[in-house]
Amino acid sequence: MTNATYKLEKSGRTFLERLFEPPAIGKMSPVANVTAYAILLFWSAFVLFPIYWVVITAFKDAQTVNEGPYFIPFVDFEPTLAAWRTQFLSDPFCDFYAIGRQIVLLAYNSAAFIVSPVVSLAPMEPQICKVYLAYTNSLVISIVSTALCIVIGSMAAYALARIQYKPKFGNIVMFVILTLVSIVASTYAGVHWLASASVALALFFLLARAFGKHFKGQLGNGDILFWIISQRILPPVVVVIPVYMMFQAVGMIDTHFALILVYAVANLPIVVWLMHDFFAGLPIELEESAQLDGATRFGIFWEIVLPLTRPGLAAVTLLTLILNWNEYIFAVFLSTSKAQTMPIMVAAKNAGERGILWWEMCAIIVVMIIPVIIMAIILQRFIARGVLLGAVKG
Amino acid sequence: MSFRKVLTAALVAGTALCGTTFAASAGEFDGVTVNILTRPGPVIAGKLAERGKEFEKATGAKIVVSEVPFAEIFQKIQTDWTTGTNSIDVGVFAAGWGVELASAGLLEDLSPYVAKDAKLNPDDIAPYFREFGQKIGGKTMLLMVDGDFQMVYYRKDILDKNGLTAPKTWDDYLAIAKKIHGSDMNGDGQADYGSCIFKKRNAQSYFAIQTMAAGLIQTQGTAQGFHFDNATMKPIIKNDAWKKAFEMYKETGKYGPPEELNMDIGDTRGLFKAGRCGILIEWGDPGPMSIEKDAGAIKDKLYAVSGLGWKEVLDRKTGKLVPVTKENAPSSVDGINYAPFAAFGGWAGAVNGKADAKKKAASYAFLSYMNQAAQSNIDVTIGWTGYNAYRISQLKDTTPWVAAGFSKEAAENYLGAINGALANPNMASDFKIPGAQSYSGVVLDRELARYLAGEITVDEALANIEAGWEEITEDFGRDNQIKAQGLALGTGK
Amino acid sequence: MAQSNTQHHQSGATPAGNRPSEGWDEWFDRHSRTFFIAPAVTFILIFAIVPTFYSIVFALSRVKFSPDGLQFRFVWFQNFLKQFVGNEQTHFLGRLEGLSAFAWLFNIIVIAAVLYWLYRSVRNGASWVGMVGRLISAAMAIAISLLLGATLLSGNPWGTLLTTLFYVVVGCALQFVIGTGLAFLCSQPISGKNFFRVIFFIPLMITPLGVGYAFKMILDITKGPFQPFWEFIGLRDWAWSTDAWAARWFVVIGDSWQWIPFIFICMLAALENVPKDHVEAAQVDGASSVQIFRDIIWPQIVPVAATVILIRMIEAFKIVDLPNIMTSGGPGIATESMSLHSFFIWRANDYGMSAAVAYMLLLVTVVVCASFFNYVVLKQLRSSHA
Repeated sequence: MTNATYKLEKSGRTFLERLFEPPAIGKMSPVANVTAYAILLFWSAFVLFPIYWVVITAFKDAQTVNEGPYFIPFVDFEPTLAAWRTQFLSDPFCDFYAIGRQIVLLAYNSAAFIVSPVVSLAPMEPQICKVYLAYTNSLVISIVSTALCIVIGSMAAYALARIQYKPKFGNIVMFVILTLVSIVASTYAGVHWLASASVALALFFLLARAFGKHFKGQLGNGDILFWIISQRILPPVVVVIPVYMMFQAVGMIDTHFALILVYAVANLPIVVWLMHDFFAGLPIELEESAQLDGATRFGIFWEIVLPLTRPGLAAVTLLTLILNWNEYIFAVFLSTSKAQTMPIMVAAKNAGERGILWWEMCAIIVVMIIPVIIMAIILQRFIARGVLLGAVKG
Repeated sequence: MSFRKVLTAALVAGTALCGTTFAASAGEFDGVTVNILTRPGPVIAGKLAERGKEFEKATGAKIVVSEVPFAEIFQKIQTDWTTGTNSIDVGVFAAGWGVELASAGLLEDLSPYVAKDAKLNPDDIAPYFREFGQKIGGKTMLLMVDGDFQMVYYRKDILDKNGLTAPKTWDDYLAIAKKIHGSDMNGDGQADYGSCIFKKRNAQSYFAIQTMAAGLIQTQGTAQGFHFDNATMKPIIKNDAWKKAFEMYKETGKYGPPEELNMDIGDTRGLFKAGRCGILIEWGDPGPMSIEKDAGAIKDKLYAVSGLGWKEVLDRKTGKLVPVTKENAPSSVDGINYAPFAAFGGWAGAVNGKADAKKKAASYAFLSYMNQAAQSNIDVTIGWTGYNAYRISQLKDTTPWVAAGFSKEAAENYLGAINGALANPNMASDFKIPGAQSYSGVVLDRELARYLAGEITVDEALANIEAGWEEITEDFGRDNQIKAQGLALGTGK
Repeated sequence: MAQSNTQHHQSGATPAGNRPSEGWDEWFDRHSRTFFIAPAVTFILIFAIVPTFYSIVFALSRVKFSPDGLQFRFVWFQNFLKQFVGNEQTHFLGRLEGLSAFAWLFNIIVIAAVLYWLYRSVRNGASWVGMVGRLISAAMAIAISLLLGATLLSGNPWGTLLTTLFYVVVGCALQFVIGTGLAFLCSQPISGKNFFRVIFFIPLMITPLGVGYAFKMILDITKGPFQPFWEFIGLRDWAWSTDAWAARWFVVIGDSWQWIPFIFICMLAALENVPKDHVEAAQVDGASSVQIFRDIIWPQIVPVAATVILIRMIEAFKIVDLPNIMTSGGPGIATESMSLHSFFIWRANDYGMSAAVAYMLLLVTVVVCASFFNYVVLKQLRSSHA
């Protein structure tokens, strides 16, 4: 809206009216504008202050932290790079050669992942350059698991939004009972887990084939959705030991793959739920007309539906990425040295009886935020562009 | 496209090159890798890694030190060793955790190795650590790398200024704290605190209360114990002794920092290093810490006493307190009964019983290397290692300590305090039976925290602890626990 | 389970007939209803359902370690009973003695209201499945109100159950209102809103452990940044961490600081998806912004809002890092959530009891979330569609 049109429309207004009423459609009144800015700035301060404090603490040392509070570097305290040096440079065995090796390995590992996610990663020396190793691990694990989670999750979400599923209640009860029986058999009766699991699975398929048709009670998509989200309810501490034992049984403790799988599954419910709403909110007419043109369901999903939900997809991707990047309890249990991730490094700075090494911990937190902020800025553009696209098409 | 291929090929080739670095040295453990799990460095782990490199040069065994956050070490080791993962060969953890692992049959008996080891010289290890720290049921299961027990530290300059003498009993502690609370102790014009104790829940609070209580209850030497009646495993908790300890513990809060209830050891260390505490309970670390760069306010001013005592002790039959005599407390001095509390027990290394023979041998050899006087006598004088003295030879000579930066007087005081505690036959032992963490870290700690927060009275707290302890004992089986307690206190077999 | 069901897909792109020369892509398309959902369901079955069932075994057992693995001793519901009538009662439920008159009054009112609600739904002809659900919700509501009456309203300390509910109810409400408000502001035509969007999102990026430590550091009353402020207002010696309510509120503030961005970004995406022309048409008609929000925007974002609240509630029930790091559940047990309760026991190697506490949390979460979903969200959805 240009200045000229504004004058044309609003010339007959009083001062007060101009203050409280929007100058044009799609704009805000001056008072609303000022209030909005005041709120946004206040909230920015609230959000940024703790982060500011973390950042400056990363440049303090034991003395400036303990004698504190000191607020502004160079003004009331002399910033030091001590924390960064001990973190990233002081490891006597972590020289340029070792860092270079880690970087080469990072590249190699990423390439290996693109070829096949199952390929075992080149062993990085877990003892030296711990922080660099953890950083590499965090990057690889969170990116791959996010990709996996988004692909699987959005497909399921789309299916649940557009296709009616009617799982039989009886089949589910049967499945639950068989699973329980096989678990009880392997814990109390000492049956090998592989035997009990395969017997239970075979029995389930046999019985489902034989009796499935006779079960009447059916569940709907809503029930499936609630079932999926309910997988996030149990606190992770409870399932961490069973999950550990599962991966231990197949010899995958301390591998990247184990963490990737666990993270992908842990965040599936969130992806499915959020994406389901975005898909359900799309007008169905577009898809119907594509269907009439003979497009396959996967084609519709890939070429029409996904681009339309790009803002949602970007938001959910970012969220999943962050949750994977920051996960702690599974990481600490499923890794011993080779697959350790950054949150373990943060927790490690609480040195128990030595107190918390605030300055080093903050340095690690700062290093951890940086890639996520870059990701957020990149994806934020997608969010904005998606809106534009939506506006054009809508 | 082709460029990308070339790049990938180069990367893979580079990786292969990087992967093929061979150990140059030859030795008895060539090709053996020992995986050690411990807490994050540099504390404890740092020196292990450093000495590991030396050891590799000498013997060819590769030492890999993995680190997990402090709170997760024990569980990681236990899960690794019980589920058959066995990716860890050596765990370096609190000596007190050893009994739980040993009674589950997870630890390698190191006695045969010790018998053949010419360099270890176990007689040099202080008796408490040798007999109760390293041995379980008469067999050496662990090797110490660090000795830990709680002592009391005070600011000599502040006490002198107020005409006070070094404390001997916990009543003195309270009196001193009361007297000096609110005075300026580091010259910044702000009122400082009489007493600083880490009272945060789920931190170290339950160690401090035991340090206070031990001297009231344990009179007959380490083997007597002070938590249970060893014959029946009935808790000795609902009595005037624990009540008195609880009450006094709470009262010290009046002369402490306002947020003491939310302070863990890191917080209190920050405070006393900045010169803001008059008297405090601590492990051995404040000695070497007082000469660190950021502790200028307390350098040569922080003095230690090997532990405080009581003029009364518990009569176990009546549950009442009676004055100390030579009969009821044979090791008492001048009518005061001392029982220095070996809280936590120090860091020690144990070998996975399921590792293969070669690894076990290499693991033992490395632990022994760490423990030998030639190495450890240097390591314990360095603050950042986190290692405290546990060998007699480490405590005889003040020269290395003075060289490290102590004044002669401060070094003598510090070593004297440690010697005093280690020489005490009445040293009190931490929980070392299955469920140790539940007894102390969960039940005792929680009820103490609730009492301190004013949620419950002291009688309720003690009653809850008794019920909670009984439940844990029943759960693990009373007979098993009686046996384990015997092993832990060296009375059983 | 979904993949084992042999329904004909209803809206395939290709005709259902089986042509002789079917390419793999056609075959793929014909089975697309299975392929779309099978990976997710399989993954969840293996990595979520099996461990969950496995932990039921933990909850009903006493677990011991041995060189041959974990040993389970089956003890029925002993681990659960302990929380309600055994040693753990005051820890889990709070102290339940000496009900005050006010508590009696409160309980009677709540019970009457719940009974009236049940009576009304019977009269409105609810199905028997619906009635079972309502009975469960009613039982939970009455149990919680009894607990509230016996503890808070009678001056007794409460246990981890009510602390958890406090975090969930207060935290979620606060976060939803603030998060949606900020999202609404950022969806307005304001210059520089992209900048605010990124800024507001940052707290979520920090690892929850890091947030815990950051707040511990900032709220430190002797060396934290607010020390001069506390001193200025004369509260130098006031320690929030030793006051039960202040500690709880600060935990909620920390939790909100981290999680408002989650609500913010989801609601922002929802708001951006609201067609601009509808809003502009209303503006042309002279509707006030309150009216526009209530009548045009809100109905469009309700589904996302409901989902977001539900997810946030589920996550909030599991709150563990903040109270653990900021206060370790103290003073006393004032800030200890059920998840932290379970975590502490877990850390002491008592896997059985830890799983039992977690299952209780599961029960409470499912009932509360399902009730919220059925009686609040669906109602809202229906009325917004009407």
